Amino acid sequence: MRRRLNTHHLAAAVLTLVVIAVAIAPWIYPYPPAQQNLAERLAPASPEHWLGTDHLGRDTLSRLLEGGRFSMTVAALATMLTCLLGVAIGVLSARRRGWVDEFLTRTNDVLLAVPEMVVALFIVATLGTGFGPLLLALTVTGWTPFARLSRTLAYDVSSRGFVEAAHVVGCSPSFIIFRHVIPHLAGPILGQATLRFGHLLISVGALSYLGLGVQPPQSDWGSMMAAAQPYTERAPLGILAPGLAIFVMALCVTLIGQRAARMATGPLLLPTADRT
Amino acid sequence: MFPFIAKRTATLVAAVLVSSFAVFLIPYFTPGDPVRTIIRSRVSGNIIDDADVQALSLSLGLQDPLIVQYFSWLGRIATGDMGLSHVSRTPVADQVLPALAVTLSLVAAALALAVLVSLPLGIVAGLRHGKPADRVITSVTQSFIAMPEYWVAPLLVLVFALKLSVLPSAGWSGPESMVLPALTLALRPISYFTSAVRAGMIDAAAAEHVPAARARGLSVPQAVLRHVIPNGLVPLSTLVAVWFAGLLGGSVIVEVIFAVPGMGRLLFDAVVNSDIPLAQGGVVLVVALAVLVTTLADFVHRALTPAVEGSYA
Repeated sequence: MRRRLNTHHLAAAVLTLVVIAVAIAPWIYPYPPAQQNLAERLAPASPEHWLGTDHLGRDTLSRLLEGGRFSMTVAALATMLTCLLGVAIGVLSARRRGWVDEFLTRTNDVLLAVPEMVVALFIVATLGTGFGPLLLALTVTGWTPFARLSRTLAYDVSSRGFVEAAHVVGCSPSFIIFRHVIPHLAGPILGQATLRFGHLLISVGALSYLGLGVQPPQSDWGSMMAAAQPYTERAPLGILAPGLAIFVMALCVTLIGQRAARMATGPLLLPTADRT
Repeated sequence: MFPFIAKRTATLVAAVLVSSFAVFLIPYFTPGDPVRTIIRSRVSGNIIDDADVQALSLSLGLQDPLIVQYFSWLGRIATGDMGLSHVSRTPVADQVLPALAVTLSLVAAALALAVLVSLPLGIVAGLRHGKPADRVITSVTQSFIAMPEYWVAPLLVLVFALKLSVLPSAGWSGPESMVLPALTLALRPISYFTSAVRAGMIDAAAAEHVPAARARGLSVPQAVLRHVIPNGLVPLSTLVAVWFAGLLGGSVIVEVIFAVPGMGRLLFDAVVNSDIPLAQGGVVLVVALAVLVTTLADFVHRALTPAVEGSYA
């Protein structure tokens, strides 16, 4: 147990460090991220450019810090949106029961079967690229794990004595939900949200990689990798570095999320079958 | 069992109707007049005669109520007439079906690989639960979840195609061109499968009939082979089906990177080129198939675990 605790501390430390670095990026980057220097195209790592330069001679480290702002913001926003929506739907299902529950649960089942990427492609095909469609694409399918978890938890809580007692003394349904049900979901939901943040970070990168997410002149980790791909052999750092950033961030939040979920629910939270 | 099947079949039909209606509406939301797009894709030259536009609108039935248009469109799709692609000007069905065949073989290869790898890993981790072997297997496979495919794929290409030159970097020309895409695609399922098999093993080993079997005189390996492993594998069956459905359209990234002419690439190209009939046909097919596969998997799961009956599922 001691060792496991240490990995989680390390993960939390790395995550905090990166979040701070990305947040204060404009004050710490070594070069302006958009500054081109064609004389130094595809340079390897050096004391001047710690992570080398890209095909336009832009500093990879600066672009990594800049790109992280977009990736992490979109992933965080999408996590919050899907969490709010999912918890609302899950609690509604569990409290209303009957056909409302049936309908919402079936919708959830169906959305789970539909590939996330196909939905994203569909939304981009209909609404075009941009910040709004990107968030929508991630939200339409992303709420399902939250709804599933909060529905199960809310069902359990609802059958406990204090909820019945609150009902008997005349508390309104909304008071019961906000005062007695939701506080009991907070721990596991927080764990789930951390896990989903990692997943969404990868999804945002995937859409940007395909050119359907962030649009030039803005860039994020996914679009950096797409731009660096033709030069993989000459300058592998261009694709290695942003990929490693996504991997490390996703790994850190997964470790923290699993730990949080274990602490909140006791047994290991089995990963839900989600995919890109 | 029967009400369950009836309910699930009704959900299946409803899901296909709702999703296909959403897909049907794409041209009504996208900018540009679809009728002019169709004419432009059929004639050369930029001048479009207004009379042609009116004639085509009439022959497409665009003056009918929306719901009538939808059902005639759905009827045509169901009979295999998905219209003409705006880009290639060939029937959509002729492009979608070969692409589906390619993706099916790629997904089957990836999942077979994932099952082959995760079965032994999951069994070992589950039986040696808490021991160093379990810790190593669990942490390594769990880290696969965090690996973006668009990072793994270029790295595999760099190592195996560019540096070692043992495998092709892209294309779809034989079994060796399937190795890298299938490997990339298998990583995430390996992670989930291993964890499911491991959890299944731990549960199955804790069941009361295992000490009972030991008491009957079965040796430890016999008890494990007959009672722990078969019971521990039940969760895997559903998971494989869910992933099969998910990867049908979820292999977009891998197919784009490795230039695999499958469903994911087709959908991606259709969206990038605004080829609406192609996107419509592809999405309807993938969604219908995905929902069908998961529904069938539910039936199989129900048949394998009678205990689910009556409880919520």
